[in-house]
Amino acid sequence: MWRLNKVRHKAGRHGDSSEQFRSKRREQENALRQARRDRQLVSKRLLLNDDEEHPEVTMETNSAGQDVVSLFLKLQHSGPEKEADLKALSKALRDPSAQLTFIKQGKSMHLLVGLLTGSNAQCRLQAVQCLHELSHSPHATVAPACLPVTPYLLTYLSGQSTRFTELCLYTLGNLCPDSDVVTEKLLAQGIIPALTSCLENQRHNLALVEAVGFTLSQLLQNRDAAEKIIPKSLSFLPSLLLSVLTPDPQFGLAPAIECAWCLHYLTSSAVDGRVLLCHGALLQCSSLLVSIGGVVADGKKEEGMELLICPLLRCVGNLLSSCPVDDLIAQVDDVRLPAALCALLQAYLHTQPALARETAWVLNNLTAHSIEFCSALLTLNLVPGLIQLLPFSQGINTMILRVLANIAHKKKEFCVQLIQLGLLSALCATLKMADPEMVTLSLDVLFMLVTSCPQVTEEFVKQGGLSLIEAIQYNSEGEMRRRAAYLLEHKLLCECESDCWSALR
Amino acid sequence: MLQPELDRLRTEGDVLVRSCGDVCPTSETEQSEVEEGNPFSFSPRLIHLHKDHELFEDGDIQRHMYLQDLYIFAEDDKPSLSVSEFACHISGCTTVFSTLQEYEHHYNSLHRNVCCSCHRSLPTARLLDIHIQEWHDSLFTILAEKQDMYQCLVEGCGQRFRTSKHRKDHLIKIHKYPQDFKFDKIKTDRREKKRQQHKDTDMEVVDDVCVSEGVCEDMCGVLSDQPEQGESMEMHMTDEDTTGMAANIEDPSLAVHGTTSTSTDPLKPRYSYRVPANICFGQASVRGFRGRRGKRK
Repeated sequence: MWRLNKVRHKAGRHGDSSEQFRSKRREQENALRQARRDRQLVSKRLLLNDDEEHPEVTMETNSAGQDVVSLFLKLQHSGPEKEADLKALSKALRDPSAQLTFIKQGKSMHLLVGLLTGSNAQCRLQAVQCLHELSHSPHATVAPACLPVTPYLLTYLSGQSTRFTELCLYTLGNLCPDSDVVTEKLLAQGIIPALTSCLENQRHNLALVEAVGFTLSQLLQNRDAAEKIIPKSLSFLPSLLLSVLTPDPQFGLAPAIECAWCLHYLTSSAVDGRVLLCHGALLQCSSLLVSIGGVVADGKKEEGMELLICPLLRCVGNLLSSCPVDDLIAQVDDVRLPAALCALLQAYLHTQPALARETAWVLNNLTAHSIEFCSALLTLNLVPGLIQLLPFSQGINTMILRVLANIAHKKKEFCVQLIQLGLLSALCATLKMADPEMVTLSLDVLFMLVTSCPQVTEEFVKQGGLSLIEAIQYNSEGEMRRRAAYLLEHKLLCECESDCWSALR
Repeated sequence: MLQPELDRLRTEGDVLVRSCGDVCPTSETEQSEVEEGNPFSFSPRLIHLHKDHELFEDGDIQRHMYLQDLYIFAEDDKPSLSVSEFACHISGCTTVFSTLQEYEHHYNSLHRNVCCSCHRSLPTARLLDIHIQEWHDSLFTILAEKQDMYQCLVEGCGQRFRTSKHRKDHLIKIHKYPQDFKFDKIKTDRREKKRQQHKDTDMEVVDDVCVSEGVCEDMCGVLSDQPEQGESMEMHMTDEDTTGMAANIEDPSLAVHGTTSTSTDPLKPRYSYRVPANICFGQASVRGFRGRRGKRK
């Protein structure tokens, strides 16, 4: 079965072919990045049997092909070893070329449908296993061939057998993103209501929750989802997903991961986030982040936690952007959220910089219009930690500086505190950075600081700030030049010109 | 305090900015509080990211690697966090540094004591003063005909000489400077290159900066008519102690007044900087680019 706590072992067992594994990984990663750029990022999942370690194709291609044909013929004649033959067939169908061979046989799908709906339970299970292998095919022609079975799979979602239902779900999940035709058909056949009632009825069966979550995420990720799928789902789906969001300590993170990704697709595609806010999405996601933040701060982060943190952060970030300022405290309700976010930043900075960047983004949205959260960052003494992050690039420092700017923008008193915490010296460094956005933001922050506390000008000059601003006047970016000139003229020089002259002579 | 505004940012190519209507006023009220010509436009803003936004790329890839059973949970041995680089601000100087120290050293060595007229860079403020006097001060030329005007370059010595040759001899004999010490910085003519480079930068701050008692303005006026003289400074990066004329400085960039010739000097600059001819740090300037000072009227 597919379980997060087992995947860890799986990765470890690749042993001496690990270099091969790594290069395959890199290739695949590049392929995925390109697919994302083409807006065609899609993945399939393979549910392994209990006795399997990893999805290896053990048979040679040719013999697999032969096996498939001969097995198919045997099955057509309905012999006494039907179950064994079916099992062998499902194993054979692991091989992609065998998959092609199979669907080219006339009436192959007809056979499977017959077995799927027959009276023999074992045969039904093996038939759906065959279909699952076919759904995982890398060949584009295979999935459409499986279309005739989908109404049956949907019907079986309300059945009772866990393993069987799981296979139905993953098969559907693999099929739906393959083509628009398939997606359309599935929607017409009522996949959304079927998944919803399955989730509702089976919410205590975490294996099925994970499977439903996966299938839903495949649908919601579709590029037309925003028009075709999401509007219909917004009334009932969010609260359902939220109800199964909290991870179970024994079962593991996997079901929560799937549901969180569904919520992310909903929040990032939905035009109006307020519907989701009404369901308490922000409240729940932020509480979950707070508890995860606590765990992480205690040094107990679980493997794979980042897979859950990522979609949660995105939900919170986007929901915050839809939340009216006055409602913010009611919706978030926890002044520990900034602390949790800072803990996540520190914990993942070196290992997952992209996650750190997303965390900084959420902090920006949290502090943009809220005096309370800006104040919390100061009171909880989180600012020094943020200042220490200013050297790091890849978008981290620009976002963090934005957060600090949000704080400075609120009140004069906050500027004073920021200066006491050493922001000025940090700015002397950021003003020299190569990234123009960093420099421009730094100038903006400096302006706010000197406007709020003119006495800080002296300190700034002592730290060599004046020649720095002068140099910026010669930068090729107009935005920077204008700011530097303005600062010199209105804030820096008139304050201390006489002092400076004497210092220089 | 300033009223908040509500923005939304869609996918990268498609920025949608809205005011939030019923809840808070738009940004126009902010602007009215701020004076004219104030270029600072920062205001806190909410950022909404669509699911296809590039900021989400890495996380999406990670998710799909997990779905495809290719995700490695153990920490990768390769560090993927990077640190910001620093870059010299001076337009045309494209040098980049990985530490602040390098940046400081670069700036202090190459951009600090720069002659407004010929753009030569001098190691210290004093040498810059001397250079300006000897090269760009017509009064100096006049006085030098009758008096000893060429100062000894060694700080504290105080002696003056009638010609630069006398000074050079003094430096060699008394202060033990090497014979082949480069006293005479030969002007080379690299107009063409400089011209082209200058076109790239569109400097707007001319008026603000060159506030002087009139002398420097003249200089600036003169400069813009003249073709580029001199050349980019050649400061070889030596190991430290550039305070004063230590012997390890190979090239003080002081030229004998009146020498004009094509360069026989094949020095290759390691760094070059460009400042447009119509920019001059006049009296208002505090450091760096020194032009004529007000005292010379």
